[in-house]
Amino acid sequence: MNNLTILVVDDDPVIRRLLEQRLAKENYSVLLANDGSEAEKILKGSHIDVVLTDLMMPGTISGMEVIDMAKNLNRNIEVILITAHSSIDTAVEAMKKGAVDYLEKPINFTELFLRLEKIATMRAILRSAEDLRQAMDVTETNASGTIQHLELTVRDLQQKIDTIESILRDDATDSDSRIGEALNILLN
Amino acid sequence: MLKIAAEELKIIAQYIHEISGISLDQSKSYLFETRLGSIAEELGCTSYRALYDKARRDPAKKIERQIIDAISTNETLFFRDTSPFELLKHKIFPDIIDARAPRSPHTKSNIRIWSSASSTGQELYSIAMTLDELLGAQIKNFNFQLLGTDISDNVVKQASYGKYNKFEIERGLSRQTLQKYFTLFGDSWKVKDQLRGMVNFRKFNLMHPFTGLGKFDIIFCRNVAIYFTLEDRKKLFNKIADSLADDGYLIIGSTESLTGICSRFVPKRHLRAIFYQKK
Ligand SMILES: C[S@@+](CC[C@H](N)C(=O)[O-])C[C@H]1O[C@@H](n2cnc3c(N)ncnc32)[C@H](O)[C@@H]1O
Repeated sequence: MNNLTILVVDDDPVIRRLLEQRLAKENYSVLLANDGSEAEKILKGSHIDVVLTDLMMPGTISGMEVIDMAKNLNRNIEVILITAHSSIDTAVEAMKKGAVDYLEKPINFTELFLRLEKIATMRAILRSAEDLRQAMDVTETNASGTIQHLELTVRDLQQKIDTIESILRDDATDSDSRIGEALNILLN
Repeated sequence: MLKIAAEELKIIAQYIHEISGISLDQSKSYLFETRLGSIAEELGCTSYRALYDKARRDPAKKIERQIIDAISTNETLFFRDTSPFELLKHKIFPDIIDARAPRSPHTKSNIRIWSSASSTGQELYSIAMTLDELLGAQIKNFNFQLLGTDISDNVVKQASYGKYNKFEIERGLSRQTLQKYFTLFGDSWKVKDQLRGMVNFRKFNLMHPFTGLGKFDIIFCRNVAIYFTLEDRKKLFNKIADSLADDGYLIIGSTESLTGICSRFVPKRHLRAIFYQKK
């Protein structure tokens, strides 16, 4: 059921291993990166739904920058930030950059799974809304073609009927030629 | 969710028809339950009959408004169906501008456009953007009046405010158009003053007499009559014919038809779009 692919970015091998095991057990697909630049390579090379990244990492790319990177590559990627000791300021900054959430270490897995489930549900709803819209669009396009055609056909027939009626009612002409003229219009 | 009983269904459906013209399928009780259940619960009603009684007895008609907001389908998007806006650009606006060209340099002709079920405003703003793109500075040579009306307070409020979230923006607007006519406002986008200044929105129930509205050159009446009974549609389009200028244009929804509804209009085709004019 859990078909989200999650990229875990953390420099601590113990945490990487722990997250990988726990997430895999819940049926998530997991990819691992030990720093920002490895994360970048993976983000560019494979489809990722959620990035779970540590805030403080050695190397040139910080957790904050991972958020920017992921969001710039694909706005639909959701990022959850993991911090050792969170401050409101960091959380607010992360949210501004587009993170959906942040978690404090040590990681509370129940909480993490709840948030991932929420993301999965949200995606399923968006996807089904998109599907419905497309289905509606196809139906509408088809129906509108048919209706346009019918609308114009009815108009043309109505015009024919009106002309025929005025010909048939025209007393000035003898009835044979009226009928002839009317037939002509009908058969045209 | 509060369940609706068969006899309640009848009363509520009749009431909704009376206040809005909307004719709901009584075989779809879930429709009533999903849309009205939370209002009933919020007001502490234990049945739909109680909700109905409360709404009837409410002198401020606040509950009536809540019910209309809940029951109306406000689905809309910018440049919906594309072809009506192509039609405006290539045929209707050039024709109308020709026909209403001022006779002296000191006078300005009025050109009045009405989006008659404007929902959250995307339709009228799309008309305004099309007009602005086409005319640019020349727009000042005419006195354009763009009016949007809807029965639902909520949507009229949103349309007037001109703020759209990213899902609403993503539907129908190109990057370029977005940059030109909207400014980023937190997580949403807001219509720029220049565009906002071209339009007006107010509340209006299409079931009521059209007194005081005046005549229009272009009327959009899209995707609203589909919720009405055949009888009400006939009355509606008859009133629309009365309020349309003799050489005016009517646009209806892409899957709607006037056959058997109003013989005062003839359909005409231009490019891939259909519009209606009076006979
Ligand atoms: C589906 S929207 C159509 C919006 C837009 N015209 C379009 O085609 O995208 C239908 C709108 O009709 C409005 N409506 C329903 N009954 C109405 C009535 N009696 N008078 C005015 N508006 C009404 C609803 O509130 C809703 O916003």
